[in-house]
Amino acid sequence: MIEVNGLSKSYGPHHAVRDLNFKIDKGEVVGFLGPNGAGKTTSMKIITGYMAPTSGQVKVAGYDVFEDPVEVKKRIGYLPETPPVYGDMSVKDYLRFVARLKGVGSSDLDSKLEDALKKTHLQEVQGRLIQNLSKGFRQRVGIAQAIVSNPEVLILDEPTVGLDPKQVAEIRELINQLKGQHTIVLSTHILSEVQATCEKVIIINQGKIVAQDSLTGLSRRMSGSQRLTVKVRRNFEQLSTELAEQDGVVHVEKAKMKQQLYVDLTGEEDQIEAVASYIVKNDYGLIELQSQDLSLEDIFLKLTSDDLPENHEKESKEELLEKSQKNFEGRV
Amino acid sequence: MRAVWVIACRDFRALATTPLFFVISGMCALIWSFMYIRVLDAFSKMSLQMAFQARGQGQGLSLHFEAFVKHISLVNFLLIIAIPALTMRLFSEEKKLRTYDLLLTSPVTATQITLGKFLAGFGAATVLLLISLLYPLSTTFLTDIQWGPLWTSYLGLWLLVGAYVAVGVFASSLTESVMLAVVMALIFNVFLWFVGSGVDAVDNSLWKGVFEHLSLGEHFLSFIRGNIELAGLVFFFSIISLNCFLTQRVVESSRWR
Repeated sequence: MIEVNGLSKSYGPHHAVRDLNFKIDKGEVVGFLGPNGAGKTTSMKIITGYMAPTSGQVKVAGYDVFEDPVEVKKRIGYLPETPPVYGDMSVKDYLRFVARLKGVGSSDLDSKLEDALKKTHLQEVQGRLIQNLSKGFRQRVGIAQAIVSNPEVLILDEPTVGLDPKQVAEIRELINQLKGQHTIVLSTHILSEVQATCEKVIIINQGKIVAQDSLTGLSRRMSGSQRLTVKVRRNFEQLSTELAEQDGVVHVEKAKMKQQLYVDLTGEEDQIEAVASYIVKNDYGLIELQSQDLSLEDIFLKLTSDDLPENHEKESKEELLEKSQKNFEGRV
Repeated sequence: MRAVWVIACRDFRALATTPLFFVISGMCALIWSFMYIRVLDAFSKMSLQMAFQARGQGQGLSLHFEAFVKHISLVNFLLIIAIPALTMRLFSEEKKLRTYDLLLTSPVTATQITLGKFLAGFGAATVLLLISLLYPLSTTFLTDIQWGPLWTSYLGLWLLVGAYVAVGVFASSLTESVMLAVVMALIFNVFLWFVGSGVDAVDNSLWKGVFEHLSLGEHFLSFIRGNIELAGLVFFFSIISLNCFLTQRVVESSRWR
């Protein structure tokens, strides 16, 4: 549905996005993930035909965005970061304007309006002026304007930013309802959002794609590094040195809590078993052993940490986290 | 064409239903009312005087030149200021409120956006112009008037208003700030009037001719005198199309900048 080849955009010496390549199939829900300033909005704006790239090619439904912008725009519903609503219009008037602007014929105008109002649960406020609506409702009006012409592709730029948790949940539910009817591209820097709504993730950092895969595929790729939390009653110090010499153990770290160790492993389940039986056999008094799968958050932090060394498995998670946080702060 | 109409309708409604429009038209009407009564009063006194002097003979004064033209020049003066205040919002506010994103990602071309905006502004300005037409029309209750020169004057004024609107739309497309849009449009409008005064600055007959053709006043004057000249029509259409073309380029440029 969407094909992006070698897309770059630079402002003078500053590269907003560099050599993006990806393909999104019909009906997929794709999360565009990255820290602030990674180039998410820029890429989305280029796909919608809002701005032109410095080089590269974008095709939507077989039409080139720069050769046939009008054809492409007919097929795209776009929600920018700030919903593009006119405060002095009522919700219904506004949606009617957008629908006519997008070339919806007058015969099915009313049915499409009703449809969009129903999907976004805006029927009760359809007669009110948009400027009197709360932020959550405005955001919904923004989504309603994106879907009112029933486009094949929906592009939503940070649809839940600035909303309260209840509104966030509502918007997510709405996006889940839209699944299957549209191809959806969703940008966000909130990871749980991707986990809640998307099937495929494209992680972008500093204008480059650092990973693109399905959610399960990404976790699988990262499963090479598994972490155990071990809690024992006796000889905690000795165990930590002994475990570090075991096969398959990458790194052992003492936790801040007493008698607790973090053990990073490279391998699979039999290594966990080996570690467990070693502790039990040598009578350290095992009271807790917990394996943690890497969450999307860990994957994200790993991929978007700038100066990550090659053997990043050796770095402790805390350090990694701290580093990425510094990175984020630096950007903000 | 449908997209032009859709944009024009929305923007016209947004322009003509705001308090700003009511304030502008109210203020203009107030000033015109105040001045028009004085103009009529002065005309009646003067024509009475003339009638005594000529003892009922001779042609008397022309209502058109003595009263209507004064009114029209006041209308023109106020519109130079009022129209930038109307057109300032057309692009600037959309850019500021980010609703411009919607237009640029909708299946419409830069030309359609520009024409829609121009027509909306032209429509709102025409409403103002119609209000000003009420004054000469009200005079028909008092006396018979010469319709011909009145209509040609108003045709000229309408074209002139079109030029102001086109200039205002262009100024608005250049900036996000409405204040800057007003100031720029005002300066452009005043500049249009002063280009013609370049006639006095040059000796060369060729340049004199060029400046005469560029003079807004010259072309407008022929409409006031009751002539519809092709040169005047072409001149006003050129100003309108030039400014619309420039606006179209500005809108289009956001796609490749």
